[in-house]
Amino acid sequence: MKKVYCLLLIALFGVALPATGAAKVYIDISSPFATRLPIAIPNFKNTGTRPDSDTISTKMAAVISQDLDMSGFFRVLDASAISQDPAASGLTASTVKWDAWTMIGTEALVTGGFSVSGSNLVVEIRLFDAVQRQLIVGKRYSGKVSDSRLIAHKFSNEVFKILSGEESIFETKIAFVKNMGGSSDIYIMDFDGAHPEIITAYNSITLCPAWSRDGQKIAFTSYKDENPDLYIKDISTGKTERISHKKGINITPSWSPDGKKIALTLSLNNGNSEIYLLDISSRELERLTDDWATDVSPSWSPDGREIAFVSSRSGNPQIYIMEVQSKKVRRITFEGSYNTSPDWSPRGNKIVYAGQQGSTFNIFTISTDGTQFQQLTHNQGRNENPSWSPDGRFIAFSSSRTGKKEIYIMRADGAGQKKITSGGGEKTSPAWSPSLNKQGN
Amino acid sequence: MKRYSQPILIILLIFCVAVSFSCTKKGVKKDTGITDENAAAQSKKPGEEGLEEAQAGGPKWNEATAEMAACFKDIYFNYDQFVLSPEGKTALNKMGEWLLKNRSTQVLVEGHCDERGTAEYNLALSERRAHSAKKYLADLGVSADRISTISYGEERPVDPGHAESAWAKNRRCHFLYR
Repeated sequence: MKKVYCLLLIALFGVALPATGAAKVYIDISSPFATRLPIAIPNFKNTGTRPDSDTISTKMAAVISQDLDMSGFFRVLDASAISQDPAASGLTASTVKWDAWTMIGTEALVTGGFSVSGSNLVVEIRLFDAVQRQLIVGKRYSGKVSDSRLIAHKFSNEVFKILSGEESIFETKIAFVKNMGGSSDIYIMDFDGAHPEIITAYNSITLCPAWSRDGQKIAFTSYKDENPDLYIKDISTGKTERISHKKGINITPSWSPDGKKIALTLSLNNGNSEIYLLDISSRELERLTDDWATDVSPSWSPDGREIAFVSSRSGNPQIYIMEVQSKKVRRITFEGSYNTSPDWSPRGNKIVYAGQQGSTFNIFTISTDGTQFQQLTHNQGRNENPSWSPDGRFIAFSSSRTGKKEIYIMRADGAGQKKITSGGGEKTSPAWSPSLNKQGN
Repeated sequence: MKRYSQPILIILLIFCVAVSFSCTKKGVKKDTGITDENAAAQSKKPGEEGLEEAQAGGPKWNEATAEMAACFKDIYFNYDQFVLSPEGKTALNKMGEWLLKNRSTQVLVEGHCDERGTAEYNLALSERRAHSAKKYLADLGVSADRISTISYGEERPVDPGHAESAWAKNRRCHFLYR
C-alpha cells in the first residue's frame, strides 16, 4: 500500500518527463527592469482517438498564456499561425519545427498533448529552451476532464518556478463576499476567477473572510444567529465553529502568522470598537487598543510583531501600526481624510490600503515607515478592500468601474489591472489565500 | 497509456481527483457542529469577567405600528459621523417619552451607514450610531436593559441609489419594538 501511495503522489503532481536542459536563470525577477521572456504556447494537440468536445486544446494553452502574461515576466507570442500548420506542431524536441518558432523570436516554447477517455484526461506538457532547442521540464498529468484548468495552472507554476526560482500564485485562491441584495455569502474561486464556489449559504449577511495561514480554514462574520458573530469554517471538513459572539460586533478577523491567534474587532457593550487578540484554543481575549475612537480592521505583519489597523483617533480614519508587545502605536497615513482596509505585504515592507479622494476611493501602497506613498488606481470607480497575493507581487481589490462591484487583480505597482469576476451580485472584500501548493509535503 | 497496468491507472486517477479537489468539493457540505458557545465565558482570565455574550433568540422584533410610528421615526447622521443631530434628538425625545409611558416595550436600535466607505469600518461606525441613540434614550430615563442594538453597516440600505439623496436616507438609526 505504501508503495502504491508514493506512486500516486508522484502522479498527482505530474510525472516528470526526462529532461536535459541545464539549470540556468532565464528571468531575474528581482530586477525592476527585467525584460519579458518571449514565450510561445501553441494550442494543445489531441493525441488520443476521442474528439476534444471540451475545447481542452485551446483552453489549456489559454490558461497558461494568461497566467504567464499576468505575471509580468513573459511576453506571450502569437502562436496561431504556426500551430495551425500540422507539420509544425511537434511536441518533443526531435519533432518540433524549431525554425518556425525561432523565426518569430521564441525563446521559450510550451507544447502540450492530451488524450481523453470518458471523463478522464491525460496531459503531457513540455517547456523548451527554444534557443538551445532543449527540454527544460516535462510533466505528465492524469485527472478528470474537468481538471484541465487546474492542470494548466500547475504547469504554469512549473514554468514560473523553474525560470525564476520562485513559487508562483497560479495555484492560489481568492475568497470574496457576494451580495445578492439583502443577503451576502462568502465564495472561493481560483485566483483568475474560475470555479467560484459558495462556502457559506446562510441566507443572511456574511462578510469579512480571512484565510488561516495554512489555507485550510476561513474566518468570517455572519449574522446567521442574529448578532454579527465570528465563525471559523474548515474548508475540507465543512465544519463550522462560532468562536466569538460578544455583544455588539465581532468582525474583521486576521490570523496571526503562527496561526494560534486571531486579531479582531469587538464593540462589547458601549459601541466603541477596539481591537483584541483571541487565542483560538483557549478563547482568551487580550485587549490591544484602548481609546475613545473607532479602532478596526487589524492586519498582522509577517513577523507577527506588529499589527496595522484603522483608527479614527485623529478625527477621521487613518492607518496606524501597533507593536503588539509594547502596544506602542504610530500613525503612517497622513494623505487624505479617510484611509481604511490595511493589508500588510507578505514581503514585509509595504501596506496596501484604500483611501477616499473626493467622492471616489483608490488603492494606495505605503512603506511601513510612512514613506514611499504610491497610488495604484486612478479615475476608475470606487476601488476598495485590497488584499496581497501570498508572494507579495499582486493585489486583489474590488472596483465599481463597470457600474457594479467586481473583483480585480493587478501587479503590486498597479499595472495589469484585470477583472476576474462576472455574473450577478456585487462582489467585495477579496481575501487572497496563502500558497496552497502542497508539493513536497 | 498502455505502459500502465489498468488497476494502478484507475486508482491513480481516483486518487488525483480526490486529493486535488477535496478542498473545493467539501466546501459545499452542510454545516455540522457549531460548538461550545460559552467557551469565552468559561475562561478564567480575570480581565474578561465583564464581557457579555450576545443574546440571540427571544421574541421577534416588529416594525412600529401605525399609531406608534410618530414616536419611532428614523434618525439621520452626517457622513462618517455618529453625533446626534438636533432633529435626531427631537425624534428621540418623543420616543423616550413614549417608552417611559409603555414600560413593557423593548426597543431594538439598528445602526446603518451609506454605501460609501469601507464595509468593515462602516460596521464599527453604525454600531456607534446605534449606541448614540441608545445612550440618549437611557439618559432620558429609559432603562438601558430595554434597549438592544445591532449594527448593519452598509448591508441594509433603505434606498439602493448611488447618490447623496439615497445616502442621506441610509445613514440612519431605525427602531423596532417587541
